[in-house]
Amino acid sequence: MEAQSSRRITVTVNGEEIEYDVEARRLLVHFLRDDLDLTGTHVGCDTGNCGACTVIYNGVLAKSCMLLAIQADGASIETVEGLSSDGELTALQQAFSDHHALQCGYCTPGMLMSATALLRVHPSPTDEQIRKAIQGNICRCTGYVNIVEAIKAASK
Amino acid sequence: MTETETASRPLVVAPGETKPGFAGTSIPRKEDKRLVQGEGVFFDDVKRHGMGYVHFVRSPYAHAKITSIDVSKALELGGVYGTLTGDEVAILTDPFFELSVKPGADIKDYALAVGRVRHVGEPVAAVVASSRELARDAAELVEVDYEPLPVLTTGEEALKNEVILHDEAGSNVVWQGLFDWGDYEGAVAEADHVVKIERLHFDRFSSTPLECSGVLVEYNRGTGQWTMHGNHQMPGIGAIWMAPALRTGIDKLRFVSQDIGGAFGNKICLHPQYVACCLLARKLNRPVQWTEWRTDQHTANAHGNERTFLDIEVPVKADGTMLGLSVRALDDCGAFPRYEPLGCIIWAQVTPGCYRWRNIRVDFTQVCTNKSPVSPNRGYSRMQHLWLTERVIDLVAQELELDPVEVRKRNYVRADEMPYETPNGCVYDSGDYARALDIALELIGYDELEARRSDVESRGKLLGFGIGSTLDSGTNNFGQSTLLNPELQFSGNNEVATVKLDIFGEIVVTLGTVPQGQGHETTASQVVADILGCTPDDVTVRAGHDTYWNSHAGFSGTYASQFAVTGLGAVKGATDKLAGEIKRVAAAVLGATPDDVELAEGTARLKAAPEAAIPFMGIGAIVNANNAILPEDVRDVTLNCRHVYVPPFQLPDKERKFGNLTLTYAMQVHTCLIEIDPETGVYEIVDYAAVDDCGTRIHPQIVEGQVHGATAQALGAATHEIFAYDEEGNLLTPNFYDYHVPHALDMPPLKTGYLESTSPFTPLGAKGMGEGGGAGIHAVCAALQDALKSRGQPTVWRSCNPFHQVWEYLRDPSRTVEVTKP
Amino acid sequence: MLLREVEYARPKSVEEAIGLLSAHDGARALAGGQTLVNVMKARAASPDVLVDLQDLDELRGVRDLGSGSVEIGAMTTCSQLAGDEAAGARSILGEVASTIADVQVRNRGTIGGNVCSNDPTNHFPPLLVALDASFTIVGTGGERTVPAAEFFLGVYLTAAGPGELLTKITIPPGGQDGFAAVTIGRDGTGIVTVAASLNGGARVAIGCVDAVPVRARQMEEKIGSDYSDESVRAAAHGLGATLDPPSDVHASADYRRHLAEVLAVRALVAARERR
Repeated sequence: MEAQSSRRITVTVNGEEIEYDVEARRLLVHFLRDDLDLTGTHVGCDTGNCGACTVIYNGVLAKSCMLLAIQADGASIETVEGLSSDGELTALQQAFSDHHALQCGYCTPGMLMSATALLRVHPSPTDEQIRKAIQGNICRCTGYVNIVEAIKAASK
Repeated sequence: MTETETASRPLVVAPGETKPGFAGTSIPRKEDKRLVQGEGVFFDDVKRHGMGYVHFVRSPYAHAKITSIDVSKALELGGVYGTLTGDEVAILTDPFFELSVKPGADIKDYALAVGRVRHVGEPVAAVVASSRELARDAAELVEVDYEPLPVLTTGEEALKNEVILHDEAGSNVVWQGLFDWGDYEGAVAEADHVVKIERLHFDRFSSTPLECSGVLVEYNRGTGQWTMHGNHQMPGIGAIWMAPALRTGIDKLRFVSQDIGGAFGNKICLHPQYVACCLLARKLNRPVQWTEWRTDQHTANAHGNERTFLDIEVPVKADGTMLGLSVRALDDCGAFPRYEPLGCIIWAQVTPGCYRWRNIRVDFTQVCTNKSPVSPNRGYSRMQHLWLTERVIDLVAQELELDPVEVRKRNYVRADEMPYETPNGCVYDSGDYARALDIALELIGYDELEARRSDVESRGKLLGFGIGSTLDSGTNNFGQSTLLNPELQFSGNNEVATVKLDIFGEIVVTLGTVPQGQGHETTASQVVADILGCTPDDVTVRAGHDTYWNSHAGFSGTYASQFAVTGLGAVKGATDKLAGEIKRVAAAVLGATPDDVELAEGTARLKAAPEAAIPFMGIGAIVNANNAILPEDVRDVTLNCRHVYVPPFQLPDKERKFGNLTLTYAMQVHTCLIEIDPETGVYEIVDYAAVDDCGTRIHPQIVEGQVHGATAQALGAATHEIFAYDEEGNLLTPNFYDYHVPHALDMPPLKTGYLESTSPFTPLGAKGMGEGGGAGIHAVCAALQDALKSRGQPTVWRSCNPFHQVWEYLRDPSRTVEVTKP
Repeated sequence: MLLREVEYARPKSVEEAIGLLSAHDGARALAGGQTLVNVMKARAASPDVLVDLQDLDELRGVRDLGSGSVEIGAMTTCSQLAGDEAAGARSILGEVASTIADVQVRNRGTIGGNVCSNDPTNHFPPLLVALDASFTIVGTGGERTVPAAEFFLGVYLTAAGPGELLTKITIPPGGQDGFAAVTIGRDGTGIVTVAASLNGGARVAIGCVDAVPVRARQMEEKIGSDYSDESVRAAAHGLGATLDPPSDVHASADYRRHLAEVLAVRALVAARERR
C-alpha cells in the first residue's frame, strides 16, 4: 500500500454524495467551508477547544477541525445546513430563537449539532446532561443560560 | 425562564411617542432565522474569485531590532502571489494618528513593524498565496534576523525608563496627569480613620470573541476604492486612522460587515492589519483575505487594560462613611497605545463609583510595555476603576468590622439625589442602588446565609459571600478626550439612521451601528413599528453595516453601551420625520390637515373617519411614481428620512477636568456565594444573582441575555482568564487550551432580577447597557475576602484569583491593608 | 492551524499498518487525532506519513476477562469506554473516561492515543499505572507485552516505538480504585491528577508532575496494609518533597507538590470506599 499526498474522496454531506480531490493535509472544516461552500460550520480557535466547528460524523459528534478531509472518505457528515429543510426550522432551532439562545450566532451551528446529537440519545435530558453535552462548545455571548433553557424546551 | 411575547398590533399611536406596544416586549429576533440555519454571513464566509490568503510573519521576540528580512525564498514557492514588509509600509504609508500629547504623540505606529519589534506576535511581514496552507508554508520561508533587546513586562519596570520602547518618544510614559476634585486634605482632617491599602492589581484579560478578526480586501484600480468585508466594529474611527495612513480620502474606504461573531471592543483597533491588507490588495491586484488565528488574537490583537493601584488611602468616619480617596494608578497599555490614552480619562465617567464620597484624587500614569497592545475591552477602563472602588468599600467594611450591606447602603448615591452630579461633573441620570441591592440579596437567599455558612463549615469548607456593585456608563461625550490632549478636535457624539417608505409600502431602515449580536435589527424594528402603527414584521432593517450604503457619522459603530440611546435615538428621530411626511401626504390626499391623521394598522387614516384610510403602499406609490397629483407644498416629501441623534453634551472644562462625560448610567448589583476547599484552594461559585437596571428595556430578553453574557465573562476573568507573561515577554495563555474561559459546566446557577429607572435624558428613557462593568469580578473578590476572614484575613489584592492564588492566600495570609489615624 | 504537507495511508489490517509504519521513518499512527492533529496544526511536530488506523476493527472493543479484569483494544474511544458494559466491570475506567474534555473529544479520542501521546496531563497514564496495566505492542519483530512501569518513558515517548503499534491494554483483576484531580475548570486539563488502586497493596500514581506518571513508593510502603484515614494521611506526609514538578501559569511547583499530597490521600480513600 502506498501513502498518498492527496486522494479523491467520496463523502456524504447532509445526505448528498460528493466526490472531491483533497490534499492529505486539508482539515475537514476547511474542506466543508472553502471547498463545499458550507460556511455554517465555523472556526473559532486553533487548538480544538471551542467547538464552533462541531459536526455529526458517522453518527457521532466530532470537531471538524480535528479531522482531516482525507480521513472522511466514505464517511457521512451532517452539518447545520442539513438540519432544516426548505427554510422550515426544526423544533430545536425554533426553541433557540424563542429562548434567545443566540446573540452573535457564531457558536450556534456547533451548539445545534451538539444539542441534536444529545436529543437523539437522550430525548429528555437533565440540566447536567445538557451542560455535559455542550461542554465542548464555547459561547462568549450568552453565558449558556438560555442555551440550556432552549434545549430543555426542545426536549420531550 | 424567559418567555416570548408577540404583542398584537397597536391601534393608535400619537405623534412622536412610543407607546409600550412592541417596545418593552420580547419579540422574536429577526437575526435568528438566518443564524440558526448557518446562513449568517461572517467575513470569512465571503469569497472572491482569484483571492489570495494572507499569513502574517510575526515576531518571536518581545523586544528586538530587525536587522534584516529576506522574502526571496517565500516568493519562490509555487502559489505565492507576493509579500509585504515594514520597509515598504514605511514608504507607502504615514504613521497612524496618535491621540496623546507628547511624549506619547511622537510614537510611530505602522501597519507592520518598522525596524523594531515590541511584542511577541507583532506582524513583521505578510505573505499572500493561493491557499491558506501555502500562505502558512511560505511564511516559514521568510527569513528575519533579530537582535534581541531587554524586555519590559511590568508597568513598574517601564516607568523607570531604563529601557525605552519608542525612541521617538524618548519615554515609556504615554500619558500622565493628576485628577484632584473636592478637598482631599479636608476629608482627611474630618476623618476618624484613614484606611490604607498598599497595592491592588487589575489583571490583564479580554473578552476573546469566538470569531477572530479578519478582512477580505478588494482594490478598485480605476477609482482607488478599497472595499473591505471584515468585522471592524467601529468603522468611523477605523477610517480616521486608515485614510491618512494610506494617503487617501475617507470615502475611499468602504467597510462592509453583515454578521460579526462577537466583538466586545476587541475589534476596534484592527487598522494595522487592515492597512497591510489594503496595501497588498493594491500591490498584487487581487482580492486578499486575512483570517486571524486564535493564537494571534490572544498574542497580538487586543487585551483589556492592566492597571496597578498604589498607595490607596481612604479617609472614613467610624460608621463607615467614606469621605474621600487618594490613589496612584499605573496603567499598562502594552506595546502601542492606539485607542489609548483614552482609557486614562474614561474611568472618570464613574469617578466615585456608586458612592457619595466627594473628595477624590487620582494620580494617573500610563506606560508602554512589551506586551500585546490593549483596546477597549468590555467595561473599558470603568471596570478597572469600579473594581478599585469595590475593593475599597469591601476592605473598609472588613477593617472597621461593619456589615458590608450596611456600609454600602450608607455610602450609595441615593435614589432621591438623582440626577446626581459627581465630584467631576458627571451626571448619574437615575437609579436606586439600595433597592437593587435588596433584590440581589433576596435572590441569593441572604437571610439564610449564616445557616448556610454553618452547613458548609461542617463539611470542612469555607463559605464566602460577596457583593459587587457596578455602573455601565453609556453614550460617551468624546470631549473627554480634550482633557487628555487639549489639541484634539473631538467632542459630543452622534449616531445615524435612515428610514424610508418604498414604492410597494416596504419600510426599510439602515443603521449607522455595527451589530455583533445585540439584536439591533430587532429592537430598531420595535421602535419603528410603534411610531408608524404597524408591526415589526412590516419593518425591514438592513442586516449589518456598509459604509457605502448606510448613512453614518464620525462616531458610528457599536461599542460603549449606547445603542439603546444613540442608535435607537437616531431611529426614533428618523421615524418621527417619516411619520410626519406620511401624514402630510395622506392629509393632502384625504383633504384634511396632518393633525387629523393617525397612523395605525399599516395605514394613514382620518381619526374622525377611520374607514378613510390609505395603506402605506399607496403613500409610497404616490410620492415615488405619481407626484403630480400632490399639491406644490407637499412635493418636498421624499419618504426617505435621515436623522442624526446628537446627545446634549457640552465641552468639558479642561482646567478643572470637569463636565458630563456620559449621558446614561445603567447599574448592576451582583451577589455571589463561593465555597473554598481549604485543603487545596480550589473554589466553586455555588450561587449567584445579578440585578440590572438599565432604564426602559426595549427588549427584556435581549437585556437579560447581555446580563448573562457579561456575568459569564466576568466570572471567567475572576477565576481563570488571565493574559500572563514570562520574563521574556512570552504570553503563557495564547489559546483556549491554556486561557480557560467558562464552559457550560463552569457556570453557577444564575438568578436575575431587574429594575427600570427611566433615564430623563434619552429619547426612549432607555440607557445603554451590555458591558456589565465587571460586577462578577467585584463580587467574587468580595466573596473570597469574606471566606478567608477566618484564615487570617489575607487581602485579596488582585482581580483574577485562580486556585493557586487562593492557596497562596491560605498558606501565607499576608495583609496589605491597615487602619491608621489621620 | 494549518498542517504542513503530509502523506496519508489507510491500512486495512494491523499487518499493513505495521508495514507502513516501518517503511517510513517519519510515519505516525493516526488514531482519534485529538492530540496528533493539534500538534500538527501548531507545526510542533510534522510526521511525513500518517497511518490512519480507523479501519482496524480488531483494535476496538472491550472484553471482560472475569473478576474485574478487562482487555481494552487500543482504538477504543473514551465514549465507548464510558458506555461499554464489559468496561463496567472495572468502573473506574468509564468514570475517568467521561471526565476527559468534552463529548466531541471523547467520541474520537482513543485510550491508545491517550497513552501513546503520554502528555503529562493525560488521565489514562497515571490511572493505568495505578491499575498495574500491561501494554501489548506489535511490530515487525512480533508481539510483546510491557508492564506499565516500562511503558511510559518520557514526554510523548512510550515503549511503542517507531514502526510499532499498541494493540491492547490488559488490566489485571481488582476493583478498589480511586481517582482524584484538580483541573482547570470542569472536565478540564489536569493541574495534578492522582490514581490509586488497592489490590494486595496500595499503588499510587501521580500525573502532571513529571514526564511520566510517578509512583508514590514511599507512601505505598508506609501505608502497608493499613488503609485508615490516619495511616493514609501520615503516609502522604512528605510526598510533595520527593517530587520535582513544573511551574507554569496554572500552578507553581510548590502548589503541585501540595496538591499531590492532598489528592493522594483522597484517591486512596476513594479507592478504599469504592463498592
